[in-house]
Amino acid sequence: MRSRTAFRMVIHDRSTTAGSLLGVVAIVFLVGQQLSILFGLLNYMSVLVDHSGADAWIMSKNVRNSDAGNLISVRYIDRLIGLKEVEWAEPVLIGNGLFRTRDGSYESVRVVGSRRPRFAGGPWRFAQADERVLLDLETVTVDRLDLSKLGNPGLEEITEIGQRRVRLRAVTDGARGFQGTIVFASLEKVREIARLPAGSASAILVRFSEHSDTTDALNKLRAILPYCSVFSTTELSRLTRMYYFTNTGIGGSFGFSTVIAVLIGIVIISLTMYTSVLSRTRDFAVMRAIGARKRDIAVVVFSQVLVITGIGLFLGFLMLATLLKTTGRSSIPSYFPDYVPPMLAFGTLVVSLLGSIIALRTALRADPAAVFH
Amino acid sequence: MATLRLEKVARDFSDGRQMRRVLFPTDLTFEPGELIILSGPSGSGKTTLLSIMGLVLKPSEGSLFLDDQDITKLSDNEAAAIRLRSYGFVFQQPMLIEGLSVMENILLAIGIQGGRPPATARSKAEALLADLGLEGVGYFQPQLLSGGMKQRASIARALIKDPAILLCDEPTSALDAESGQAVMGILKRTAVKDRRMVVAVSHDTRVFPYADRLIKIENGRIVADNRERYVSQKEIIP
Repeated sequence: MRSRTAFRMVIHDRSTTAGSLLGVVAIVFLVGQQLSILFGLLNYMSVLVDHSGADAWIMSKNVRNSDAGNLISVRYIDRLIGLKEVEWAEPVLIGNGLFRTRDGSYESVRVVGSRRPRFAGGPWRFAQADERVLLDLETVTVDRLDLSKLGNPGLEEITEIGQRRVRLRAVTDGARGFQGTIVFASLEKVREIARLPAGSASAILVRFSEHSDTTDALNKLRAILPYCSVFSTTELSRLTRMYYFTNTGIGGSFGFSTVIAVLIGIVIISLTMYTSVLSRTRDFAVMRAIGARKRDIAVVVFSQVLVITGIGLFLGFLMLATLLKTTGRSSIPSYFPDYVPPMLAFGTLVVSLLGSIIALRTALRADPAAVFH
Repeated sequence: MATLRLEKVARDFSDGRQMRRVLFPTDLTFEPGELIILSGPSGSGKTTLLSIMGLVLKPSEGSLFLDDQDITKLSDNEAAAIRLRSYGFVFQQPMLIEGLSVMENILLAIGIQGGRPPATARSKAEALLADLGLEGVGYFQPQLLSGGMKQRASIARALIKDPAILLCDEPTSALDAESGQAVMGILKRTAVKDRRMVVAVSHDTRVFPYADRLIKIENGRIVADNRERYVSQKEIIP
């Protein structure tokens, strides 16, 4: 009966309910879209690592992220492929170059080279053509989201990167890096564009055999390559994300805006719930007089909060889903891991309950004697 | 059926600077089956006395006994439990909760401490409403009712629990004469036929004829306690 009473009050007090709903929706939507962009950017940071298809990455000693390794010798591959734990080992070259657009201007691009025919560390999803085009030495790919930035080059169009002739023969889908446009090419073409020495690689990617133990295999690689850093793909992805998160101000920036969104939500919920309770003080006094304990009043107030939060979560997530659907294939980075919605819902509930504390205190102070006047 | 006894009950109020006594030590005993009217001018202490009797205000001095149980120094929760079990309240304004239907307002008096009201409560509430001349209004919102209807609905809310004690604060002051007479008739019938203790605060002399006992208070003191019956029960109770 107490929760039914709370529900009826919520339905009846439309203006205050709408205000509180606004607070909840503001939290869900503002924090949610901040988080979706943050996770989208985090994906960008480790995009090459996450889509490499490898179990381990071998890079130069003391690297702090996947983009900042020194060159290592490709001869290490010979040591690796002899191990029974290793199914394959492939070099990857990462360099920089200037992409010449149709109008003669230049755009900085990150060139990633992988070895034929496996193309480990190469493109993983295509909007046009497929990875077979990389068998041709001249071929490069660009991402569909970067086409306009690069002057909308057409397929089979010939241009230059790093003053080396390249031919655009495929368009990737979702291959965008935190450091900008990613262009895939063959190992040899990247070496040529970035003018990197023969026999070198930015990283060696390793896939372990099906039945090998990952931890043991990683330890074995570390033992035979003492002058290199050996990471599991997960470790390197986390290291890279953490590096950018803490060193570029992204963490602070997103943390600050999230805190602001939460504070705005708390203030809105506090004010509207307080107003709602204030206008119901007489009713709470009546309830106290007819036999309600303080805890019964608390149940009514918290039930109101739960009803409002439930509706607000539904509306907020609906708006968020619409936003994500709209921006999902746009150049705005947005991604929402599965574990975030329950955490966001729980966090919003906690914030709503915090926001209702002042209202609860007011409701609990309703004096049953006040009804006798 | 219950007996309520006040022994040397007094109450002081403070405005932060000085203490003011609004009810001087009072000894009273209330029995079931009577409609008792507390009368007196504004500020005489009658509402304070009613609030103390209703366990919503603690006395500064003295003791309160319900069937010989000392209920003076109960905790907040214990007082709420007794109010829920033994008391019904009718206020000056009907104070029905907006947003709840008339039926939900009535059932709230049973379910306010949680739990679903028993299945019989709804039919009992409907019978009460019909008895009070409010047949068919159970699912109306309170704002659709007239003042007299609301007050009768609030009486139904008070009676749904079969309380031993019914306390009414100026139950007719917000009503027109006809509605006021109807409400007093209901209270009289509740006291006499159902053998409940009904205590009503009123300074409206038109309701005095309904009283089985008329207590007058002035300046915080009982100045008269009259058991003269003004009107025969046959005239009031149909």
